[in-house]
Amino acid sequence: MVKLEEIHTLFMVATLVVVLVVASPALGVIVPFGGGSERFSELWLLGPGHMAEGYPFDVGVGEEYSVFVGVGNHMGGSEYYRVCVKFGNGTEYLPDIDGGVPSVLSPLYEWQFFVGDGEAWESAVTFGFEDVVGNGDFLVVGDVTVNGVRFPVDVSAVWDSEDSGYFFVLFFELWRYDVEYDLFRFDNRFVGLWLNMTASVGL
Amino acid sequence: MGSCLKFLVVSVFLFSLVSVSVPWVSATNGDVVSLEVAEAEEALVLAYDAVLEAEEAGANVSGLLDRLSVGGEYLAEAYVYVRLGDSESAGRLAGFCVEAVDGVEGEAALLREEAARLERADLLASVFGSAVGVVIVVVSGFVLWELFKRRFNEKVLKLKPEVSDGEA
Repeated sequence: MVKLEEIHTLFMVATLVVVLVVASPALGVIVPFGGGSERFSELWLLGPGHMAEGYPFDVGVGEEYSVFVGVGNHMGGSEYYRVCVKFGNGTEYLPDIDGGVPSVLSPLYEWQFFVGDGEAWESAVTFGFEDVVGNGDFLVVGDVTVNGVRFPVDVSAVWDSEDSGYFFVLFFELWRYDVEYDLFRFDNRFVGLWLNMTASVGL
Repeated sequence: MGSCLKFLVVSVFLFSLVSVSVPWVSATNGDVVSLEVAEAEEALVLAYDAVLEAEEAGANVSGLLDRLSVGGEYLAEAYVYVRLGDSESAGRLAGFCVEAVDGVEGEAALLREEAARLERADLLASVFGSAVGVVIVVVSGFVLWELFKRRFNEKVLKLKPEVSDGEA
């Protein structure tokens, strides 16, 4: 036969469970339950059809090309972002993701915006090239136009005999505002477009 | 010829005076910008700090973030013109930025206070509700246990064998 002491223990345990359930709203306020989700920011680049395809590659002078750049916030709170557009002639001046170092190139165009947690920002980008001069093994891009604003750059590229082209890169760096230090920090993310300018000199 | 020279000298003097008189400071992104742009940046950052405080207090700040983004758009354009050497356009856009975020700090403070008040009320309600619930569970548990114990003892007593004096 079941003893009264055993039933008493069972009854006490059941009561304690019910007490914990009833007290859970107050416990939830007092005891912090940490959210285990990873915090990060996204940076993406979409083609002119708003898909991850059809990115401009063979580009010429006087033409206008378009892409979409976007940022997603999963940092657990609102964030202040900055996206910089930079233009270079190869991999040597690209950001160093392993070292967390942004490109030394000066930004051309930029956006600054605020994104709430779980939300995203996106903008259309148009760009083009002017004053492109071929000079034997070199090709010099004089001006880059981004969203209608013309920037003098004077960037040159050497003929790449392996891939047969003059290659440049237009890339977008993501920076995030550090409230503690009151400055923008490179968020260790960039996306870029490899551009072959060979067509611009009629080759 | 003499008047041309005078004009040139005066022009150079005025130009150098302007470049010296416009204060230049270093911005958070490393660019050297005019005081107007730096002030716009400061206004934007202060407003952002206030919005963050409101958000941490639990307020819905999506409307304020939209206004900050408008300010950010102007400020970014101002930086573009700084790089292009057009300080006049940069200054004008910096002014637009300040206008766009004007009042955001105050609104954020109001939202923060409202959110803090609601949070306090929620906290009070949940603590009070939980305390009352716990008392009800403990008291009713005690009563139930006493009732159960009484019935249990009665049943056990009925099951006890009667002692006879052995006359059979």
